[in-house]
Amino acid sequence: MIELIHLEKKYENATPLKDVNVTINEGDVISVIGPSGTGKSTLLRCINMLERPTGGQILFKGTDITDPKYDVTEARRHMGMVFQSFNLFNHLTVVENVMQAPMDILRVPKSEAHDNAVELLKRVGLSGREYQYPDMLSGGQKQRVAIARTLAMNPEVILLDEPTSALDPTMVWEVQSVVMDLAESGKTMMIVTHEMNFAKAVANRVFYMDQGGIYEDGTPEQIFDNPQRELTRQFIRGHKVLEISMDDAEFNYIEASAEIDRYCTRNEVPSRIKYCMHLVFEELVEQMLAVEIKEPRVLFTAEYIADENKADIVVLYNGEHFDPADSSNELSYKVLRSVTGDLRHSATTEGEYTNRIDCIISD
Amino acid sequence: MKNKKIITLLILLVTALGLCVLGGCRADKKEAISSFSQFTEPGVKVGVGINCPEEKSLQEDYPELEVIGYYDTKLGYKDVAEGRIDAFVYSRRQLELAIEEGTTGVRILDENYMSNSVAVGISPVTEIPNFTERLNTFIAEIKADDTIDEMLDRWVVRGDEEMPDIPEAENPKIHLTVATAGTEPPYTYYRNNELNGFDIELAKRFAYWMDADLEFKIYDYGGIIAAALSGDVDCIMADLYYSEERAESLPFSDMLFDIDVTALVRDENAKSALGFWESVKNSFEKTFVRESRWKMFVSGIGTTLLVTFMSIIFGTLLGFILFMICRNGNPWANAITKFCVWLVQGMPAVVLLMILYYIIMLPLNFSATSVAIIGFMLIFGAGIYCDLTTAVGAVDSGQLEAAYALGYTNLKAFFKIVLPQAMPHFMPVYKGEITGLIKATAIVGYIAVQDITKMGDIVRSRTYEAFFPLIAVAIIYFILAALLIAIVNRIEPRIDPRKRSPELIKKEVEGK
Repeated sequence: MIELIHLEKKYENATPLKDVNVTINEGDVISVIGPSGTGKSTLLRCINMLERPTGGQILFKGTDITDPKYDVTEARRHMGMVFQSFNLFNHLTVVENVMQAPMDILRVPKSEAHDNAVELLKRVGLSGREYQYPDMLSGGQKQRVAIARTLAMNPEVILLDEPTSALDPTMVWEVQSVVMDLAESGKTMMIVTHEMNFAKAVANRVFYMDQGGIYEDGTPEQIFDNPQRELTRQFIRGHKVLEISMDDAEFNYIEASAEIDRYCTRNEVPSRIKYCMHLVFEELVEQMLAVEIKEPRVLFTAEYIADENKADIVVLYNGEHFDPADSSNELSYKVLRSVTGDLRHSATTEGEYTNRIDCIISD
Repeated sequence: MKNKKIITLLILLVTALGLCVLGGCRADKKEAISSFSQFTEPGVKVGVGINCPEEKSLQEDYPELEVIGYYDTKLGYKDVAEGRIDAFVYSRRQLELAIEEGTTGVRILDENYMSNSVAVGISPVTEIPNFTERLNTFIAEIKADDTIDEMLDRWVVRGDEEMPDIPEAENPKIHLTVATAGTEPPYTYYRNNELNGFDIELAKRFAYWMDADLEFKIYDYGGIIAAALSGDVDCIMADLYYSEERAESLPFSDMLFDIDVTALVRDENAKSALGFWESVKNSFEKTFVRESRWKMFVSGIGTTLLVTFMSIIFGTLLGFILFMICRNGNPWANAITKFCVWLVQGMPAVVLLMILYYIIMLPLNFSATSVAIIGFMLIFGAGIYCDLTTAVGAVDSGQLEAAYALGYTNLKAFFKIVLPQAMPHFMPVYKGEITGLIKATAIVGYIAVQDITKMGDIVRSRTYEAFFPLIAVAIIYFILAALLIAIVNRIEPRIDPRKRSPELIKKEVEGK
């Protein structure tokens, strides 16, 4: 349905898309994943020409929509777009947001547009909110209205640009389930997302983007469980494993704590394990290692294993042999023991590190 | 804590000092002037009609004297009565009229200060051939057959206000435009809402004599000479005094007659004859009822409304069109518009209006009212353009993207999505611009448009009182502003979707 040929997008000081060649077929539900700044959103925005590509072609149902003579509004009528920041029309009520475009552009009669809008709002679970204004809604509700607004144009393909990134964590699920529902109905969709579990669950095809293009294109099983290429592997592992390294005294503990939070949200770590993970980091790294080791260099890794509902934590550090059990800080040690089932210290020669602590947090 | 106390004390001290100074001023009323020789005393303040020849002579004769020029001589009389100035130097006959019309607490000195020659000011660029010769021949004729003495005797000495029947030219071949003031009884003033007085009769006689049809234009003394110099009128007949300085740029006819100049001074023995309520009633009657003067206010309101209304409509259109042209960032359109806006907003409205009227629009021969409308359209349009730019800029760019993504064209997205959202930012400023505009139109009197402010001035020139005409004009401005804002408020729900009532929304959405 959509064919990208040598697509290129250059900015003055960056080239997010170097040479993208790919075909999107009808019925494809594609998750687009990858590190920040690799052109995921740019790709989506190029496809409906919100960003004009600097090179190459986009064929939509065989027509080159990058042709300057082509009227892009024509193609956009058939492509829905859902934005990270919702972009609901703030001057209109919810139901008018959904009705407006079909009336203005498809010349649908008012009564038909209204009935269709009411139906769509019911589908996204917002019956009864027709006459509210967008600023009275929560983020999740706004995004569901935005999806209904897009569906009202009955698009052939829907592009979703990080639909849940701007949401409070408690509202992510309501939007994801609406998108899942759409995917199951067989709509062609492209979703840029940072939620790996969602990306895996919703899609039947995954693009991993890196190095200015689609670095790896495969089924969700291939990309998430058995990635073929090196950068994909690193990225997937990075998402599964939390790594925090500390190599000077100026270490930013608040940033580290935020990283633990992000990891736990991403991997849906239960709140008790997340709390324990924070405790281990604070008591072991902040209170003991950072205090007792001269010029501390520490690598803190944690991996949550969902099937067993536990987190494996490995802490590597330098310096002379130091077992937390021998520490003078008895309080911190007691806290550590109380949250971890097992706390083993051993000598090691991994890289520049000389000490290793293994522990497990389970629910 | 300590600082606060000190500041409070300081404020109290300054206030007390201010009160003392004010009280001192009032308490320290100097002795009333009784002779011109007292003009040499220190601290004497004397008012004069602005640009009158006596202004210069006084400064030459009494270098120490503080001379204050008044555009509106009637305010000067009042200031004498209240002791703000010590004397007002002006034509004897006009000062006498002021007292006859009820100005109290003042008297006129017996001695004369000087005498002024009155003549007709002639436009150096008039298109009437041999104008000066013809005018001087006419003056010589009416002097020879004593017509002018008869006129002076009737208007000035006897104060007969009846205009004699003077025939109009039957087949006029010339169009004569005369600038006059309409505020100087008994020479040029309004009676029963029509121009009347010595100069008006003179103009009528001259027009008939020359076989011309006659048109009057009303000017303040501040702008009347400029009007003649620019060629907007052929001559000035408005009790205009000859002075050497004026004659350098403005040609004068032969002298018509001389006027004695004396001084109005405070009369310490005078007491107001009327009680408070009686005098209020009296002034009200003079301001509105006598000679149906309320009709002048009504006609002034009409003019002010016309100028304001047309300027708002055309200015809004102009601002909107400019904005639409510049909207997509065309660098040429933007540069030109910015320059024009800078030009219009960079000068006072009066100056812009005068430049338009006396310089730019002069060859087009537009009426003063249309020039006023054009001027205020430019001013208002420039404001609207800036306000629209700000209001539309306040709308999140994501709105435009969302509209594009749904398949809206650029223009449709602007009108359907962006503009309605800019409205809540725009409307409050728009209302402010309208209120500002109504008040700003008060200056159109400078280019001979008789709006409500000018009408107030004309009435004031007859009643010799400031209170009622000024208050009436102020109240009228308040009402006009409220009226226009009410109209805008009626329109607002139609253009600002968020101002719709729930019932209206339901009706619009469900189409029932």
